[in-house]
Amino acid sequence: MGLVRGITVTAFFGIVLFVLIPVYVPRPNFIPGFAPPPDMWPRTISILGMGLGLLLAALSLSRKPQADADPEDAGAIRDGTPLGTLVLRFVYAVLAFAGFIVTVHFAGFIVASMALLFVMLLLTGQWQRKGTVVLVALFLPLVLYLFFSSALNTRFPAGSLVTILGL
Amino acid sequence: MLNDLLTAFQAVATVENFLIMAAGIWGGVIIGAIPGMTGTMAVTLALPFTFYMEPIPSILLLVALYKGSTYGGSVSAILIKTPGTASAACTTLDGYPLARQGKAGKALNMALYSSCTGDFISNISLIFIAAPLAMLALRIGPPEYFMLMVFALTTVAGVSGRSLLLGLISACLGLLLATVGEDMYGSFRFDMTVEMRDGLSVAPVLIGLFAIPELLKLVVFRHAGAKTALELGDNRVTRAELRRSLRSLFKGSLIGVVMGAIPGIGPSAAAFSSYGEAQRTSKNHANFGKGEIEGIAASESANNGCCGSTMIPLLALGIPGDVITGVMLGAFMIHGLTPGPMLFEENLNEVYMLFIGMLFSSILLFGAGKATMRFFTHISRIPPGLMAPIVLILCLFGIFAIANSMYDVIVLLAMGVFGFLMFLFAIPAAPFLIAFILGPMLEENLRRALAISRGDPSILVSSPITWLFAALAVFVVAVTIRRQLKKASA
Repeated sequence: MGLVRGITVTAFFGIVLFVLIPVYVPRPNFIPGFAPPPDMWPRTISILGMGLGLLLAALSLSRKPQADADPEDAGAIRDGTPLGTLVLRFVYAVLAFAGFIVTVHFAGFIVASMALLFVMLLLTGQWQRKGTVVLVALFLPLVLYLFFSSALNTRFPAGSLVTILGL
Repeated sequence: MLNDLLTAFQAVATVENFLIMAAGIWGGVIIGAIPGMTGTMAVTLALPFTFYMEPIPSILLLVALYKGSTYGGSVSAILIKTPGTASAACTTLDGYPLARQGKAGKALNMALYSSCTGDFISNISLIFIAAPLAMLALRIGPPEYFMLMVFALTTVAGVSGRSLLLGLISACLGLLLATVGEDMYGSFRFDMTVEMRDGLSVAPVLIGLFAIPELLKLVVFRHAGAKTALELGDNRVTRAELRRSLRSLFKGSLIGVVMGAIPGIGPSAAAFSSYGEAQRTSKNHANFGKGEIEGIAASESANNGCCGSTMIPLLALGIPGDVITGVMLGAFMIHGLTPGPMLFEENLNEVYMLFIGMLFSSILLFGAGKATMRFFTHISRIPPGLMAPIVLILCLFGIFAIANSMYDVIVLLAMGVFGFLMFLFAIPAAPFLIAFILGPMLEENLRRALAISRGDPSILVSSPITWLFAALAVFVVAVTIRRQLKKASA
């Protein structure tokens, strides 16, 4: 695990240093006075990060891999569940988040929130409480919507579909 | 001065003023406890309502909201591992583990005692040392600020768990993410979309990093998540626990006072510095991060310790130390009071009334905290599988409402996924957050100092104050490394 972590961290900072900074942190033609350029700080951090990643990988090969010594290890709470199931659950959750963002554009914030809450309640294993799940998923976003829009005058996105239908 | 204070006491001690302050404190606690609702939002929302009020009651209302929301942030930090405000993020480190041990009530009580003590000490310091401390803060320039930030960053060592290396990697990630957006000279960095030009706000990053991974843990490791149900159980803070925490509590209050008095530092940095200091000096340092009550005392006394002292530069010099005092500056002006040295010349009576009102509000904070605690403890009875998605929806609405921005909502969700991946890689989240908050100040002051010195880095160690902070930082890092080596050899 330590080796994979070290390589991943090194690769991440390496991509930032060699790919992202040259493209997304351009040096301006004119820099006032002796001010350091805008890429100085991100470059410094990336180099430091790469160094730490390499150190992490190297330490994981030593006899006492300190890099692994973290108390809150995901492996400890895995509880024998097959890896495929865990990955699938994670993918479902990420898809639900992505679905929420897409749904907001079509159906509006409130409907998307209801759908996301319903899906997340099912994903956390609350399907036995069907009545509670439906009630919470319908009414909580509605209550929050009324509170924020009336008390704070927040204008939540209505959604293109809702606008077209004139609801 | 004493006569003036007594006159001000008589003027402030009215039923109307008490009701206004109580409403402010109560409202602040509730708003602060809702993830995504910040103290700034509470103060900003209340501002229009103060237009029709007298100057002092209106300022007292805003100050009460500020104090209440600072404490309120700890309630959700302890009960649902979701700090209501950025300054309560540090409280999560020990508050939530205590709640998981069935001692949520104990954690909430310690947070309340510490907040009230820190707040009271802060108010006293505001009254007696406003002018001298403000003069010292004025002498701090970019090199000193940079070194102060470096010293504050050494807190990372204290919150890195067992692996300092993973903590440092986490801090690098936080520093890197803080560079997204426009820099101090107007250059854009990592602006992959138009929205990214504004950078990443603290609220979605903070809440995404702390709240969403808890939901994802429940979704992915379903069975294990079910075991984390919160129990209030043990409510009392014993005398022994209080005695044990007194040192950190008073030290935290003083750290809060000093850091709050320096413009731009704020309660988050104070809380983390105090926490790091408590961890370094405590006999129970090994228990920090696992549910150490002293950790709560340190962080909560420091963040509320800032509440009074942030008013020092505002009142004495007219400099708002943070966003909230910036809003308050506007409130002063609306009511015809101009903060600065002239305020003490022309409106001395109003200044003393404000001082006295702030002292009263510390006592009211205790009452409101006790009452609200009972109300919020019902949260613990909700199953985590039901609670976590509810928290997600609260976060979505709260984050959207801050700036009416879907971009912030996307950042919130993305940071949640990122936080979960960090958990899978056993990379601690707290150093990331500290670095993300302190990063912009660190970079800005480094670049400003280098620009002043025409690129000569020796400016960073050019004054006694920079030497002091540099020595403190080196000392802290050396102590941490020594401790880790000792542990490794044991």
